[in-house]
Amino acid sequence: MSLLSLNGLTKTFETPTGPVHAVSNVSLDVQAGECLAIVGESGSGKTTIANMILGILSATSGEVAFDGQTLSAKRTAEQRRRIQLVQQNPLSSLNPKRSIGASVRLGLDVYDIGEKSQRWTAVEAALDAVGLPGNMRTRAPASLSGGQRQRVSIARALACDPRLLVLDEPTSALDVLVQARVLRLLNGLRSKHGLTYIFITHDLAVVRNVADRVAVFQSGQLVELGETAQIFSAPQAAYTRQLIGAVPVVDAAELNLRNKLAEGV
Amino acid sequence: MSILHVKDLHLGFKTLTGQVDVLHGIDLDIAAGEKVALVGESGSGKSVTARIVLGLLQETRTARINGTVQFDGSDINAMSARDRAALRGTEMSMIFQDPTSSLNPMFTIGNQFTEVLRRRDPKLSKAASHARATALLDEVAIPDPARVLGAYPFQLSGGMNQRVMIAMALANKPKLLLADEPGTALDVSVQAQTLTMMRDMVEQNGTSVLFISHNLGVVREFADRVYVIYRGNIVEDGSTDALFANPQHAYTRALMSAVPRITGAGLPEVPEVSDDFLAPRIRHGDAS
Repeated sequence: MSLLSLNGLTKTFETPTGPVHAVSNVSLDVQAGECLAIVGESGSGKTTIANMILGILSATSGEVAFDGQTLSAKRTAEQRRRIQLVQQNPLSSLNPKRSIGASVRLGLDVYDIGEKSQRWTAVEAALDAVGLPGNMRTRAPASLSGGQRQRVSIARALACDPRLLVLDEPTSALDVLVQARVLRLLNGLRSKHGLTYIFITHDLAVVRNVADRVAVFQSGQLVELGETAQIFSAPQAAYTRQLIGAVPVVDAAELNLRNKLAEGV
Repeated sequence: MSILHVKDLHLGFKTLTGQVDVLHGIDLDIAAGEKVALVGESGSGKSVTARIVLGLLQETRTARINGTVQFDGSDINAMSARDRAALRGTEMSMIFQDPTSSLNPMFTIGNQFTEVLRRRDPKLSKAASHARATALLDEVAIPDPARVLGAYPFQLSGGMNQRVMIAMALANKPKLLLADEPGTALDVSVQAQTLTMMRDMVEQNGTSVLFISHNLGVVREFADRVYVIYRGNIVEDGSTDALFANPQHAYTRALMSAVPRITGAGLPEVPEVSDDFLAPRIRHGDAS
């Protein structure tokens, strides 16, 4: 059964110069335990979709169903708790005045998870799960490296015991070595905790290695949806081929693949 | 002759608890018209190297700089602050990571362009600078340059701003362009377009480039030669073809293996640190 369904999801922003169709009539299902990548350029509607899934934005029309229930504009704490977000830039998404432990604990207090006396232990367990020492919880975000901060963001999301993680460009701000470690961590956590991921990115090389399925968006519309291997060996939409063709590559096998796809345009 | 000749460059910062050494003897050369990349992870010393070449770090009181940095035959470290400042924006220029935040939000593009052009030619009239800016924006394939010149940076897309930055950086035909992670803040497809654009422009003008990046894929498509830097030491260098075909140093190999492939080889295990990363420098081919 699918964990998340989007049915005819549409978001139109009214602006002084006329309506902007940020997301147009998007329907797709996300299966429990899978990693679905949402790819597209800036302005393709990726983040707007994420915000509607999270309930930060309400849809103009269409609906979001989670675990068999249609989510209304006003969600219950239980519903909010099960869908968590990891953002692109951990330096701006973590409160600089809060210790990282306090940031991780916030979700536990808001959703009233576990005994109060046990919550610091839970925070340390969450930090431990992302490979950070528990005694780091008193540190401020500014004293951590980029990779460590992103691990804190992941720990914060995990502490709420979510079922679905929306990862919005989680590694775009990191350099390649750190990115590789964070991606491995995310992969491990997904199988260990039975999580479902929506992985938003414009980096198709990352998508190839982490996603089970890929949804390609252009100007708010779903232009292609398929298994990752399928999308990369035989992309149907010209736009998908164009996106793959723009990925900077490092080895000959990749160059071959890219050239082969370019010929198909 | 090389445009930039860096020899045994050391950098340390004086702190309350003593000196922290950041660069441990960097050697680096860029020939006229050559595109050279400096690749490494965050904190490896890439950006401070660029700031020394620009003569910016020399103004920082706590910085302790030793070694040779020759730009077009003259020693940057021996120059007065005024002479170094005169080089910036004329003989050398820089493109930063995030184009939107490196343009001044309070002034129109046209205004900022005039400022750039007047660094070379202080008496340039407004009309003449406008005409020249229009021609330059046209070269970087900006449609409707007149509209863009009247616009503020926030009214343009990131890709547009990046192209404006490229046009500005090359406006005074500098001998050396320093590009610090250009386009990292942009989409993959926009990034690819702007890099191609930048490459064509520097090749036309015969400008040398020091290209700083952690993205090996981008480096491979842009640079003629590559230096790999790790913790303030150059660990490997060579022509782009040689280095990518046969990476020798353990750190270079780790960096290569960490790049996700579109052919899908899965996610590699990357060691946090390894003693092998500190192995001596490896040079490919004709070591210059």
